[in-house]
Amino acid sequence: MRSNRILMVAAIVVYVLLWSPVVVLVVLSFSNNRLGVKWEGFTLRWYIEAFSSSAVISALRTSLIIAVVTVVVSTVIGTLAAYGLYKYKLRGKEFLRTSILLPMVLPYVVMAGSLLIFFVKVTHIPLGYFTIILGHVVFCFPAVVFVVLARMARIDWTLEEASADLGADTATTWRKVMLPLLAPGILAAAALIFPWSFNDFNFSYFTGGVGTQTLPVYVFGLLRYGDTAIINAVASLFAVLPIIILLLMGFLSRQKTVVY
Amino acid sequence: MEKRQGKSCVELRNVVKRFPGVTALDHVDLEIEQGKIFTLLGPSGCGKTTALRIVAGLETLDEGDILIDGEVMNDIPPHRRNCSTVFQSLALFPHMTVEGNIAYGLERRKTPNHEIRKGVGEMLTLVGLEGMEKRRPSQLSGGQRQRVAVARSLVLKPRVLLLDEPLAALDRKLRKEMQVELKRIQGEVGITFLYVTHDQKEALAISDTIAVMRMGKLEQAGAPDEIYNTPRTKFIADFMGATNILSGKVTATGDGKLQLKTDSGLKVIALHNEGTASNEITGISVHPELIELLPSDTGLQGDNRFKGKIKEMIYQGDFIETKISLSQTGELLTAHFPSRLELVTRLSPGEEVLAHWSPKSSNTLLDQ
Repeated sequence: MRSNRILMVAAIVVYVLLWSPVVVLVVLSFSNNRLGVKWEGFTLRWYIEAFSSSAVISALRTSLIIAVVTVVVSTVIGTLAAYGLYKYKLRGKEFLRTSILLPMVLPYVVMAGSLLIFFVKVTHIPLGYFTIILGHVVFCFPAVVFVVLARMARIDWTLEEASADLGADTATTWRKVMLPLLAPGILAAAALIFPWSFNDFNFSYFTGGVGTQTLPVYVFGLLRYGDTAIINAVASLFAVLPIIILLLMGFLSRQKTVVY
Repeated sequence: MEKRQGKSCVELRNVVKRFPGVTALDHVDLEIEQGKIFTLLGPSGCGKTTALRIVAGLETLDEGDILIDGEVMNDIPPHRRNCSTVFQSLALFPHMTVEGNIAYGLERRKTPNHEIRKGVGEMLTLVGLEGMEKRRPSQLSGGQRQRVAVARSLVLKPRVLLLDEPLAALDRKLRKEMQVELKRIQGEVGITFLYVTHDQKEALAISDTIAVMRMGKLEQAGAPDEIYNTPRTKFIADFMGATNILSGKVTATGDGKLQLKTDSGLKVIALHNEGTASNEITGISVHPELIELLPSDTGLQGDNRFKGKIKEMIYQGDFIETKISLSQTGELLTAHFPSRLELVTRLSPGEEVLAHWSPKSSNTLLDQ
């Protein structure tokens, strides 16, 4: 009984620490205080100001486009890579598998900085959407590989043979059998990397060049001018959007009664 | 293409398949008759599954030919062989309904919708799953899943249905039920079944022909009773449960019988088949249920009568497995004694008995 109560207290502490910054942020975003640091009555002013600012809208659009493209490209590449790593016997497979983690363990500042040099000095690719997405894919797709690999380990691979045996070609087998079976893993990976890309600052800042400003980069710019109230409003969106997505995912997965 | 004269549906000619470090199939020849159940039987690693996968086209062969309906199939990919496989894991698509699973193959052939529906309906009736079409595999029992897997393959009307230990996952009672079911279904559709199992009882119950394999070679093929009653080698005798194996040499023949002196010095009598040279015979085997136990004061006159002492009795329900050590040589014989026999109740370990079997119960072995 005693240890139960200790566990309970510990759990409460953890959740308070987890939630309080978010709650404070969201509450202050409704506060009628220019600096957004204390409560001075309810207002929607900052939200209205944020969303009537074309700079915010444009940055939001840029971030969304980059995140969506990153998610699509990363899941496709990551799933194919996972398939190769799972199915084919090749020498040094273990090494290849582990080395995919490299972009995830290197400090992002270092990665982003070296990518900038790579783009500008080595390949001469103009900075913009393309370079940001490339950078995001580099640190996002390893996560897809590992999430999808975990899913693959739980699949009965005779299903692939059975599909071929019943007359399906490779493309049909993927469309009708493998993708539906891998879907939970692929979707989970997508849900994981979407906020990574959407929230990323380092890569977007270094490889964005002039004119391609994502929301985090824009917020960073605001900070330098001390416009913290608008930042609170924008940041609340950052906090609330993923929570909505997570809740939605939980709801959708409960709808699916099929257990594979 | 010229139609072949014979009725063989599948033929392996001198097939060799090597995997790194092991020869899975070592010059195998076999012929599977049209419209019958042909079983490949053997312990794990004997090459039976490899043989099945070669017929399916899931493995390539290193030497020899595989023919289906007289056509060489060596380089034809699986989906163009018109074989269909029931996998050991069944491999039902978990995200599709029963209906979706059965229709899958027809859809791939671009069959018109009304024909798909008709085919699926026929199959559901054939395997007795009417009303289950909207269920998913996870909502079915083991036996029902089995039926879906068979229906999914049969709906394509394959030239040969390949079954790779399809009943291995079921419990004993259900397995027996499904053996009867599979035999009934095969009789109704008349499609050739190539069945792979390591369970000799299952093979005996289900097959028209059994081929026993060992270490990549075909040891003997024949009707179930032939394999059971007259196993040709020690390996098959042992595998088919004829556990009394006495190695020895023929010392005399005549009168349609032969006398064999075992390595331990027993003189046993067997019938002499004119076709076999007596110097090729390497021993005899006797099924335990063919050994009779007589009271020890019965006379020793006559063939195959040996005094012995009961060493142990293991109750098996319908019979009692009795181990008798022969007084003359110390050899152990196993006799299966029906429980219903009165005498059994009077026997107990340590008791003297007379073991006896008739010369025609001695099966001659021809190991090389």
